[in-house]
Amino acid sequence: MDALGLPTSPAPGGIAGIDREQFELFLIHEGRLLDDREFEAWMELFTEDGLYWVPSTPGQPDPYNQASLFFDDRQLMKTRVERLRHPRIHIQTPPSRCNHMISNVIVEEADDKTGEYLISSSMMMGEYRLDVQRFFMGRQFHRLVREGDSFRIALKRVNLINCDTAFEAMAVPI
Amino acid sequence: MFDGTPDEISKLIEPGRVHRKVYTDSDVFELEMERIFGRAWMFAGHTSQIPNAGDYVTSDIGRQPIIFIRHKDGTPQVLLNRCAHRGPKVCNEPCGNAKALTCLYHGWTYDTDGTLLDVSMPEGAASHFDKKDFGLAKAPRMGEYRGFVFVSLADTGVSFDEFIGPMKANIDDLVDRAPDGEISLDAGMHRYYFRGNWKLQVENVLDSYHVPYSHASTVNKKGEQFSRREGDKEGAKVIETKGKKEKTADAWKGRRSYVVGLGHGWTSNTELKEGERSSPAYDAYKEALAAKVGKERMEEILRPEFHNSLLYPNCSIMGLNIHVRVIRPISADLTEVTVYPVKLKGAPEEMNSANIRLLNVTHSATSFVQTDDLESFSRTQVGLQSLQSDWIDFSRGMGEEVPDEHYNATSESAMHEMAIRAQYQAWLQYMCEAA
Repeated sequence: MDALGLPTSPAPGGIAGIDREQFELFLIHEGRLLDDREFEAWMELFTEDGLYWVPSTPGQPDPYNQASLFFDDRQLMKTRVERLRHPRIHIQTPPSRCNHMISNVIVEEADDKTGEYLISSSMMMGEYRLDVQRFFMGRQFHRLVREGDSFRIALKRVNLINCDTAFEAMAVPI
Repeated sequence: MFDGTPDEISKLIEPGRVHRKVYTDSDVFELEMERIFGRAWMFAGHTSQIPNAGDYVTSDIGRQPIIFIRHKDGTPQVLLNRCAHRGPKVCNEPCGNAKALTCLYHGWTYDTDGTLLDVSMPEGAASHFDKKDFGLAKAPRMGEYRGFVFVSLADTGVSFDEFIGPMKANIDDLVDRAPDGEISLDAGMHRYYFRGNWKLQVENVLDSYHVPYSHASTVNKKGEQFSRREGDKEGAKVIETKGKKEKTADAWKGRRSYVVGLGHGWTSNTELKEGERSSPAYDAYKEALAAKVGKERMEEILRPEFHNSLLYPNCSIMGLNIHVRVIRPISADLTEVTVYPVKLKGAPEEMNSANIRLLNVTHSATSFVQTDDLESFSRTQVGLQSLQSDWIDFSRGMGEEVPDEHYNATSESAMHEMAIRAQYQAWLQYMCEAA
């Protein structure tokens, strides 16, 4: 397990009897909010103490003692989103066009009593801006908490396959 | 055809302006690699990255791959990462530990100080072959100050003392903040690149003039930047609004810029409410520092003097969001930047953690601050293709430079461009120096 309680070894292949479609639809919805630049609605998917983490080294054990690409709590997320709405955010003039693909969804842990779930999935995001198209790809983990008919995100960790490379500026969350 | 004679090079630099070729021309770039990156002192690593014998990190100095390694006798070594036989890069991992370094191609094996230990099938070697002639090449000159290791790839030139001397106070300012009097650079790194010339990033390090406009998206409606330090309630006042008109805040305009020769320089601190700075992590850190150095010295250390310091040509140290930055040219229009978070030894873990977390949003590829700078650099490179004018102007504040006795430096408003003019004097000096 890493410092935030996510498993570091492969999942056993899902949990029988749990309907994974509800999770898949939720993850697709999350990606679509980012693609549609609905950043405030995306942020609201997170619980008040929710965390968004994209490590900068493979298998990074924690976000506290090492640099990360993203490690936002709701407060940093709010600053990030407000900046994305600022008319003079030069790195988004013009804005990026993005598309997320979510696949290989696995229910890693499920507790219907508490309504807590850990879902892993493969993600790919294409980003196009100013004649340049690039792709981000990796496996992501979502710790979800049931709320009514849907979920909120207590923790999202994205393990990019190239997390330790040199990146060109990245303005939008992945 | 550009031959790189001193006469030709001098024509590219005029008082207060430089020719666009210094950013766009690949011949100029090749000469820079030879005469600046092949001569000047370059940051090779910090000893905290290689605590034990055999520990190594690999990186690049300009376009030269290097290995920064702790030899078994305890000394840090800077080796060129190229097998002395047929040339493959010997160490291929970003970091690790090795008893010896073996080339993948024919198995030549080197000691941790580069000495060639073994070649496979030695019976086939030519009669004149001598292992002594085939070690991994060492950087010709190396110098260390408080764990910062710099090398020069030339046998002669500016000495390490001349290079580091005027900037020791800036390194001390950072390292003294650690209760144990030592820092470590073992908290990973941020790596990013931009489609522009390396000097665009170097110039930007001491440019406070760009902040109110370039970084407008980091400033709230009150004209304050987001809080960038642990324990601060708000960030620096950057913009003042009078009626509907926005202008640079007086506090920001008061910043000073200093230069001390060889292109080195720094900007004065960012004015923040020091007296109100407080949080559990910061307060615990102050206590830890005072316990080691006394309350009076603690207060002196925590009175910030420097914002950004530049060790020309390509290393900067930041006092606000503490980090070490290394700028690596790849081609005339492509540059990679590495940012190392700084951990203060002896500081409470939560203080180091807060510094690391804030650096994620100030100086990473995804940060609120640096991303807009990178956009400026890339757009400049595109704009400089225009033939509208051959000149880039850096004349702000020309003639307003004054001597500063306290720092033994030359000083000017940081809203002006003295520091960039000083960088081009050093550029000329390196570029025109006889080989």
